[in-house]
Amino acid sequence: MSSISSDIIRGYNDTMILYLLWDAPSYGYEISKRIRSLSDEKYLIKETTLYSAFTRLEKNGFVESFSENATISGKRRTYYRITDKGRQYYREKCAEWTLTKEVVEKFIKEDGGI
Amino acid sequence: METIRNYLETMFARLPITFEVQKAKNELGQMMEDKYTELIKDGKTENEAVGIVISEFGNLDELAEELGISSFVIQGNQKAAAGIRSVTLAEVKDYLHDRTRAAYTVALGVLLCIISCCGYLLGVSWNWRGAVYATCFMFLMIAAAIGLFMFSGFVMGKWKFLKQKGCSVDFATAEYVHNRRESFRVTFAMMITIGVILCILSVLPVVIITSLFSWRSGLGVVLMFVFIGIGVFLLVAAGNMNAGFSTILSLNKSDTMGGSFVPSQKQVRYNNNMISQLMSVYWPTVTCIYLCWSFLSFDWHITWIVWVIAAVVQQLIRAIW
Repeated sequence: MSSISSDIIRGYNDTMILYLLWDAPSYGYEISKRIRSLSDEKYLIKETTLYSAFTRLEKNGFVESFSENATISGKRRTYYRITDKGRQYYREKCAEWTLTKEVVEKFIKEDGGI
Repeated sequence: METIRNYLETMFARLPITFEVQKAKNELGQMMEDKYTELIKDGKTENEAVGIVISEFGNLDELAEELGISSFVIQGNQKAAAGIRSVTLAEVKDYLHDRTRAAYTVALGVLLCIISCCGYLLGVSWNWRGAVYATCFMFLMIAAAIGLFMFSGFVMGKWKFLKQKGCSVDFATAEYVHNRRESFRVTFAMMITIGVILCILSVLPVVIITSLFSWRSGLGVVLMFVFIGIGVFLLVAAGNMNAGFSTILSLNKSDTMGGSFVPSQKQVRYNNNMISQLMSVYWPTVTCIYLCWSFLSFDWHITWIVWVIAAVVQQLIRAIW
């Protein structure tokens, strides 16, 4: 049973979050839930990891936060919205990933070395 | 949900109170609450939901850099390695129980000391045999008082480690103590008020009895000491019990998240070490001066001015150093 290496995926948490914010602003729990379902339950992002990614993204100006009352529960939540700079950064990360994948792929045997 | 909240509070207890830390705590709390609500909605039991939320929470070390608390997290780990003593709720309950008992024991001892001279005061108007009884009474009272002091000293001896540094209580315990102190507040106020009133009224028996039965003036003075004794008993007991709550609540440092219950009244600090040593005996000295001057001169109508002057002088010293 293999699991995701947290070292590798850490560099792409930002990419996932930006992807999920692309169309509409969202908040903490919703993002963690969508990461989980989009990855077919293979990747559970921890709350602290998610929060540290948010603060890092915000510090770099890739996302903006604002607080708003949620429509259903009426609770006040911090929402995050992607910025133009964030979209730019996302494109760079995508290009970086394509390249990384291309390079690493060359060293992966088709049968997994069995 | 209560368990989750306690967990979060405990995780944050040793972090400094800064805007970033507060924000992180709120945000993480919100995420945990959302997750918990959803798990319950999906039909998980409360225990399962709490277990899942806590196991997926992660580690605060990850946030250290973002929150600017790296030094705290590392320090905290070192402290944990050095054996920081975490005081449990059961221990705290035990401590408060012992402390209450010791408070009454010490107060009773003080009461006995105060009334120990009463036999003698009554005895002056009697014959020599009376004087012997009075002396016996005094020594008995003092011996009993010392016995009580020693007993409470032994009982409290096992709690000495609380005064030494490196103890802390978790959030739930701090909250428990805080609530107990809140519910004690009215009793405390009553005890202090009645104590002070008794001390003030203590001169009444002297005045009344002397004016009514001039031949039994000793009885008036005896009653005065009894009044003062009961008054002081209440003051000492109340003060000691309250100090017990404060001792526990000030175990956590007041500039950390877990220290939110530390009494807000901050201790005045003097920059000059010499002055701070002197100021620690300031009020006892003032009291001494007041009593000496008053008893020697019997100018009670004017000696109270000592307190006014003392207060002004203290403010001046605070302002200068």
